[in-house]
Amino acid sequence: MTDSALAPSNIVDDLVDAERQETVSDINVMVAGRGGDGSLTIVTLLSRLLGQRGFHMCSSRDVASRIKGGHAAAMLRGSLQPRWCMNDHLDIAVGFDEDTLKHAGPLLKDGSVVIYDSSLGEPDAAKVPEGVQLIAIPFGRMAVRDLRRELFKNSFSFGLLTRCLRVDDSEAIAILSAHVQRFPADIARANVEALEKGFGFADELGLHEGTGPLPLAKSDHQKRLLMSGNQAAAFGFLAAGGRFFAGYPITPATDIMDWLRPRLPEFGGALVQAEDELAAINLATGASLGGARAMTATSGPGLSLMLEGVGNLGATEIPLVIVDVQRSGPSTGMPTKPEQSDMEMMVFGGHGEFPRIVLTPCDQEDCFEISFRATNLSQHLQCPVFLALDQGIGQDSVTMDPFELEQLEIDTGKRLTAEELAGMAEYVSYQISDDGVSPWAVPGTRGGMNLVTGNEHDEWGLVTTEPGMRKQMMDKRARKIEMARDLLPKARRGGVEGARIGIISVGMVCGAVREAVERLQARGVDVEILEPRTIGPVLDETIEFVNAHDRTYVVELNHEGQLARIITGEGVPSAKILSVRQCDGTPFRPGGLVTEIEQRENAHGRDV
Amino acid sequence: MAVTFKPGSPIWCSGCGHFGVESALKQSLNNLSIEPHEAMVLAGIGCSGTIQNYIGCYGYHALHGRVLPTATGVAAANPALTVIAAGGDGDGYAIGCGHLIHTIRRNPSLLYIVMNNGTYGLTKGQPSPTAVDRADQEHAVDAIQLALTIPGSTFLARGYVGQIRQLVSLVDAALTHVRNKCGFAFLEVISPCVTYNDNYPSWRELLVNLDSDDSYDCGDRTAAIANYARLTAEGRLPSGLIYQGSATTFEDAIGVTVKNSPACQDLSVSRHIDRYRKQMDMYAI
Repeated sequence: MTDSALAPSNIVDDLVDAERQETVSDINVMVAGRGGDGSLTIVTLLSRLLGQRGFHMCSSRDVASRIKGGHAAAMLRGSLQPRWCMNDHLDIAVGFDEDTLKHAGPLLKDGSVVIYDSSLGEPDAAKVPEGVQLIAIPFGRMAVRDLRRELFKNSFSFGLLTRCLRVDDSEAIAILSAHVQRFPADIARANVEALEKGFGFADELGLHEGTGPLPLAKSDHQKRLLMSGNQAAAFGFLAAGGRFFAGYPITPATDIMDWLRPRLPEFGGALVQAEDELAAINLATGASLGGARAMTATSGPGLSLMLEGVGNLGATEIPLVIVDVQRSGPSTGMPTKPEQSDMEMMVFGGHGEFPRIVLTPCDQEDCFEISFRATNLSQHLQCPVFLALDQGIGQDSVTMDPFELEQLEIDTGKRLTAEELAGMAEYVSYQISDDGVSPWAVPGTRGGMNLVTGNEHDEWGLVTTEPGMRKQMMDKRARKIEMARDLLPKARRGGVEGARIGIISVGMVCGAVREAVERLQARGVDVEILEPRTIGPVLDETIEFVNAHDRTYVVELNHEGQLARIITGEGVPSAKILSVRQCDGTPFRPGGLVTEIEQRENAHGRDV
Repeated sequence: MAVTFKPGSPIWCSGCGHFGVESALKQSLNNLSIEPHEAMVLAGIGCSGTIQNYIGCYGYHALHGRVLPTATGVAAANPALTVIAAGGDGDGYAIGCGHLIHTIRRNPSLLYIVMNNGTYGLTKGQPSPTAVDRADQEHAVDAIQLALTIPGSTFLARGYVGQIRQLVSLVDAALTHVRNKCGFAFLEVISPCVTYNDNYPSWRELLVNLDSDDSYDCGDRTAAIANYARLTAEGRLPSGLIYQGSATTFEDAIGVTVKNSPACQDLSVSRHIDRYRKQMDMYAI
């Protein structure tokens, strides 16, 4: 069967470690190739395998800003403990292009396995560190030769992968068969054939069934969901009665529009793809004004355009949920890379001063609850509510427990019915109330006619500049937020309760922080975690946390330390805040954070 | 019934064309027996953008240039409402020009009245996109002519406050088009600014009333385009009903109906919980 011209090269004789009994319960895999070449299928297959074996998972994609071509990589981490970020190193890299080794190289370690498609040429050994086991096989050419389609290289290489993981062939075949059953029968069959050829090749390498170097652990299967934050946020909105979405395509927020597009009409709602972000926010404002629960979603450049509309929502007192899935800025920046540099824009942006809420989910699962609560809050407080996501939390998928839906309630706020109006002497639509929120009639309600305006106005909605009324209205709007603090999502806590040192993060950074703090604790450095889920306004709990600790690390993905500034702006001594920042378009990894914190603690004269 | 806001007195100068628009709109709402709670007027920024304060139905003051997407959002969420968008030619053809084109493409069932006076009155008289003989020598745009060339347009008309009877009947026809869910009714009204661009005397000569021409077929778009070009080449402008046709409406395209609109849904989680669970199961691993 072996054609000498296609014989595998660079086989490491001691690849096989049949003696190893200790199983792998935390595995980090990268699959890389040219964008659009189907190499991500392997990640899908692997995630099914890991899922069946009870692993928690997180997956992320590294793509260039183009449709096809260019280097594209998918990372998948499986662990028996819940994890929300990639590990510091790769256990396995599967590569279908030359760039793979350039990107994977620095992440490989002693004992890592590289499965490499040498169709494009022999791998550059200089990029492969000491102790890495390299399997170079011309998968692409073999797939074309034996099965007439290069795409089957994925099933080929899956066979090598499962042999490395010491997974029984029958289990691998079952996984692949389940995946391909939706394809036409001949394609499905060809894929399984490719997989079996992969096993055959593995045999020729001496990598027999049951002898692989990285025996994958096994645990009981649990029903979990594998979802991204964008999907969870969209679902939270729908479940909260969201029935209108207007948006404009923008990376990395488009997923939210894609998720809602087929579903909103099924639930009696509607979605409009606008001509630009100015139209999007005004369409959403109109729909909300018209009585539907509405959302728009964008990223930094789109939010810059929308800011006039945000201020308008604050001044007119119209509800809306606005999602910013933050990416690297400024301007066009790096559209596919994560950053957290719009926080100050959400908390402070827009001319003038107006009420708003800024919520920061701490992981993908939290996106569901925070989005649900944001939708309710926007109705309750009649104001814009931001959902601050980032490219990582938005687009990386993570396993989570199914959401508990039974206890969820819709909060309609102070919405008036025709019957209530009929019984009232007068309906004053901007009535100055104790909690700052006025009763509101949906247009079309008999007897509920009212004027809504962004001009300063009196209680009837008539335009005025009278100083006394102006002051009352500014106070009324501000009071809405002050009086609602108890309704706002509180922080998640973790790490070591009572530790002298604290650490604060939001969004995708929380996953890396959780893991870093675990490792620090094992190394004798105790740190307590606070993950604020409301940053606009800054809640007392955040101030108390900083005051209670000797020093607090604020870890964020931006250049200037926006979250640190937002917190110190509330009056905590700035000496108590240690800013940890990164904005090169890559996520924090736990090992890097451990090193950073230990170095800083050493600088404080502490023994670590 | 509860007392609601008392409509204010217009801020407009004596002799302002907008009084004619206000009057025609009120007469038409009355003619068609549209009750105050059934209608919503959304107006842009400018002198014309205060008209919603004077009518007595639901009212909204939009951001400059953004009245059309806002009105479209209202119409999408709450198609039971009669939605009337209004603004000036600066609001609609300068900052709002992009949205005008896309609203025509979308064809939502709402009325758009543009009070065209060739100036930005409220900011003291700068030339607007329909102004001619300007110091900066920019060329004027004709939005009705532009709309004729966009396939989704279904109702295009021009009125003049100096011919109120015709204006009322045009508003009647436009509101009927909208309430029958036939799509976007775009009515430009020549509404001179007595303070900064008083050209009242010129309009009787400039306007050619198509409603009085029995040979004019407002259902023939090609002929309407040719006729329009011929008139403008002569330095004149058509008035009356210029075009009326049919095209898929926005409501039909996005699947909203009066009986099943986004604003009138039962949102309780318990009602939808089985279907929400089905959505979750798509992600089960």
